[in-house]
Amino acid sequence: MADQSFVTLATNDSYVKGALVLGSSLQHHRTIKKLTVLITPQVSAPMRKVLEKVFDEVLLVDVLDSGDSAHLALMKRPELGVTLTKLHCWELTQYSKCVFMDADTMVLSNIDELFEKEELSAAPDPGWPDCFNSGVFVYRPSIETYNHLLQLATEKGSFDGGDQGLLNTFFSSWATTDINKHLPFIYNLSSISLYSYLPAFKAFGSNAKVVHFLGRMKPWNYTYDSKTKSIRGDTSDPTMVHPEFLNMWWHTFITNILPLLEQHGIVKDATTGVKAEEVTEAVSHMSLSAAAPTSPPCPPPAESSEERKERWEQGQADYMGADSFDNIKKKLDTYLQ
Amino acid sequence: MPLVRSLSMTSLNGLPQWEDEDLPVEDLLLFEVAWEVTNKVGGIYTVIQTKAKITTDEWGENYFLIGPYFEHNVKTQVEVCEPLNPAIKKAVDTLKGQGCQVFFGRWLIEGSPYVILFDIGSAAWNLDRWKGEFWDACNIGIPFNDREANDALIFGSLTAWFFKELTSQFDDKPNLIAHFHEWQAGAGLILSRFRKLPVATVFTTHATLLGRYLCAASIDFYNKLDQFDIDKEAGEREIYHRYCMERASVHCAHVFTTVSQITAIEAEHMLKRKADVVTPNGLNIKKFSAMHEFQNLHAMYKARIQEFVRGHFYGHLDFNLARTLFFFIAGRYEYSNKGADLFLEALSRLNFLLRVHRSDVTVVVFFIMPAKTNNFNVETLKGQAVRKQLWDTAQCVKEKFGKKLYDALLKGEIPDLNKILDRDDVTIMKRAIFSTQRQSLPPVTTHNMIDDSNDPILSTIRRIGLFNNRTDRVKVILHPEFLSSTSPLLPMDYEDFVRGCHLGVFPSYYEPWGYTPAECTVMGIPSVTTNLSGFGCFMQEHVADPAAYGIYIVDRRYRSPDESCNQLTQFLYGFCQQSRRQRIIQRNRTERLSDLLDWRYLGRYYMHARHLALSRTFPDKFEMEPNAPPKTEGFRYPRPSSVPPSPSVSQHSSPHHSEDEDEDERYDEDEEAERDRQNIKSPLSLGVLPQRKKKQHGEYRN
Repeated sequence: MADQSFVTLATNDSYVKGALVLGSSLQHHRTIKKLTVLITPQVSAPMRKVLEKVFDEVLLVDVLDSGDSAHLALMKRPELGVTLTKLHCWELTQYSKCVFMDADTMVLSNIDELFEKEELSAAPDPGWPDCFNSGVFVYRPSIETYNHLLQLATEKGSFDGGDQGLLNTFFSSWATTDINKHLPFIYNLSSISLYSYLPAFKAFGSNAKVVHFLGRMKPWNYTYDSKTKSIRGDTSDPTMVHPEFLNMWWHTFITNILPLLEQHGIVKDATTGVKAEEVTEAVSHMSLSAAAPTSPPCPPPAESSEERKERWEQGQADYMGADSFDNIKKKLDTYLQ
Repeated sequence: MPLVRSLSMTSLNGLPQWEDEDLPVEDLLLFEVAWEVTNKVGGIYTVIQTKAKITTDEWGENYFLIGPYFEHNVKTQVEVCEPLNPAIKKAVDTLKGQGCQVFFGRWLIEGSPYVILFDIGSAAWNLDRWKGEFWDACNIGIPFNDREANDALIFGSLTAWFFKELTSQFDDKPNLIAHFHEWQAGAGLILSRFRKLPVATVFTTHATLLGRYLCAASIDFYNKLDQFDIDKEAGEREIYHRYCMERASVHCAHVFTTVSQITAIEAEHMLKRKADVVTPNGLNIKKFSAMHEFQNLHAMYKARIQEFVRGHFYGHLDFNLARTLFFFIAGRYEYSNKGADLFLEALSRLNFLLRVHRSDVTVVVFFIMPAKTNNFNVETLKGQAVRKQLWDTAQCVKEKFGKKLYDALLKGEIPDLNKILDRDDVTIMKRAIFSTQRQSLPPVTTHNMIDDSNDPILSTIRRIGLFNNRTDRVKVILHPEFLSSTSPLLPMDYEDFVRGCHLGVFPSYYEPWGYTPAECTVMGIPSVTTNLSGFGCFMQEHVADPAAYGIYIVDRRYRSPDESCNQLTQFLYGFCQQSRRQRIIQRNRTERLSDLLDWRYLGRYYMHARHLALSRTFPDKFEMEPNAPPKTEGFRYPRPSSVPPSPSVSQHSSPHHSEDEDEDERYDEDEEAERDRQNIKSPLSLGVLPQRKKKQHGEYRN
């Protein structure tokens, strides 16, 4: 149906990778709905081209440029930047109904049946089940709703500083009124449930239709070894207890997305068998250019010290480049006699 | 074929004989910083704990250990008190005033040194700020998901802060020396240098992070040492930040030391700095007042192991326990790093040799390597129960027998031996014997292994087929848990177990120091080690004929794995061919090497490192002869004048065990021991052995 669409949002090149995997997984499971992605100006030009290969519509949202009420809202509440971008999805009135999905989600089977649900349908949040998680939700685009949301954002803000708080305040009857608007948890299975309720995960995890990689470590932050087809990582990381989903994410990325990135010259040629080192290197360089959401899209500027530190803390030190020990040594030698 | 009888005396380069001037310890404060102070997580605990005695003897009240606070450790090992030194007290109070928990007390070990323990959790709220400071100091960031590295940073920041509070109270003296162990303590060193604190720093690497990883990855490590792109290797293994912390600490230290020659070579390539001093690890040697007490202990604990073996092999006890040798390997379960792979292969060859030569010697090999288990297995427990039952039956019959005999003798009769046991007794005995029949082979492992099918030791045993068959002369028992005197199976402590064994086998590929063979040595138990272990290098350097002294050194550095395996097999086979008397003599010699490993001697390397650090940090106050390379006279253990009791296989094409044969062996324990003592105590009295051929320093150090 042409008037229904899946919608996602990418605010930088790292999240584009997530969006691409999401779009690719939807296609793989033969959705008949449209695919739409909202992007911000931080997404680089080559990445936009790649997005166009996967998505039917790529829409640039620039809250600062809009000059409308959203801009005004942002002036009052600058901390709500990304949230206000996300609210733009209500402006897609070319569609009668949409399913919004975060870029850090991935579908495991066809979920077109979600379009039978009404606004606002969503799955409970694992941290506070009386709130819904705004990673996956069904809604009807409407300028009226959009304006009401903006108004609420301006007047009251969001209790958690993000879109989830705002939407839960707005659709506050979700928890109690209509059970039909409660999507089963398998439509938004967050990786947290692995360690918060492992037995349930073992019993029902295999039915999952959508996984949501919550938390600071996103799938693209891990290192994937294409020889063993598995994630390399610290076993103390609780999500590594069941790395199947991460491996699945990476498998999709390597098979469907990486060739596209190569075609557009974002990643060096790796057609003759994918070498893990090259891929991870290329990928970490990509996240390098994407680490700064406020920087102009392309070319990536020299990183600030703070950004470099942040990257170390993500386990993504550029050990073959700026962070090599020779550079560390030079730093040390400035104060050693 | 005649035995090769070499009576030549060979002297090797021994301990350095530099004359360090005594440091004015009253004007100095010495701190030793390590994550394992009062906190037993690995081998460094042993180093620090055993060394404390000689260090407090030298430094008295001016010696402090700095470590992390863990409630359980403090409750069991530390007597909390107030610092007597006012400056220390002030610095501690400052940290406490800022909301960080600091504990001061005496560590209840030999020497009872002072400890300063920082509660990492209580200071964790500073983490973000300290990460920023550390970034400013060295441009190294720490991933938020590496808890250990974050703890190490908090620990280091607290240490450097403490030093700052302390040194700000002093003008000219006292001067501070801080000795840091391993990367977990290294952040404190880096930050102290960054803040230009007047502290002389020493950093000791016990094993490099990257070396351990690379060795475990079964790469031909030692032959490729100079070819690694180390930044890349560390980055790919996701230990880049740890590796950087370690390497930055090494780079910042005034003096850098490693625990052995082999680790010095490793560090030169993995950390890109030559060690200034090699500081070998010692032990606190327990001296028995009675001569050869260790031999009595060996006999006593051997009997305990024999009891266990009787139970474990019930129904299969067709071998002579008096001619059974106990070998063991023990340590962390690192299959190839600890050389378990080589050992198993050699055992398979040894089994073959013993069978072909129809030897009556049986070898029972224990693998004491903890793995994940679900407790003891039923078959093993049953074995011990059966043994107990037979013992009880024998006791019971003996009692009745004794009573009847006594009654008969009282009556003045010789009892009728056919009637002295009645039918009931015979039935009891028959029943007991029936219960010892077993359908299965004696189990290879004593526990239910969680990952039985993938366990590397068990997989290898399956492949080489060492299943404890009757025909096998080599029997294998995997005990995947540390020993304990409260175990229902083998109720012995590790030390007692070692004493009861005949040979410890540690053919490690990666072993920066190697306390296990060292512990064997001080208990008078011979052991196998390698020239890739710190201990093996040390012994090779100081003992002319190590095998005669019960230190068999397998060459794993310059030989192929197959050649190393053959060499190990020969050592083992040679050991099996020794007579009881030869083994006793060998144990006596082994035990005499203890003095070499005593901290009282080895501690001087640490003194030298400290002196060197002071002279580099405060050159105008502490002088040291500029390039006074440690002179290398010292102890030398010559080849024993009697026959080395370690014949190699080729010399025995046929078995011969006659005890008479040893009679011609000239062995005078007292004379030999006296000479060894001379060699240690007065290394410079060269006149005693005039024909000694001197070797150049470094000749044995390829």
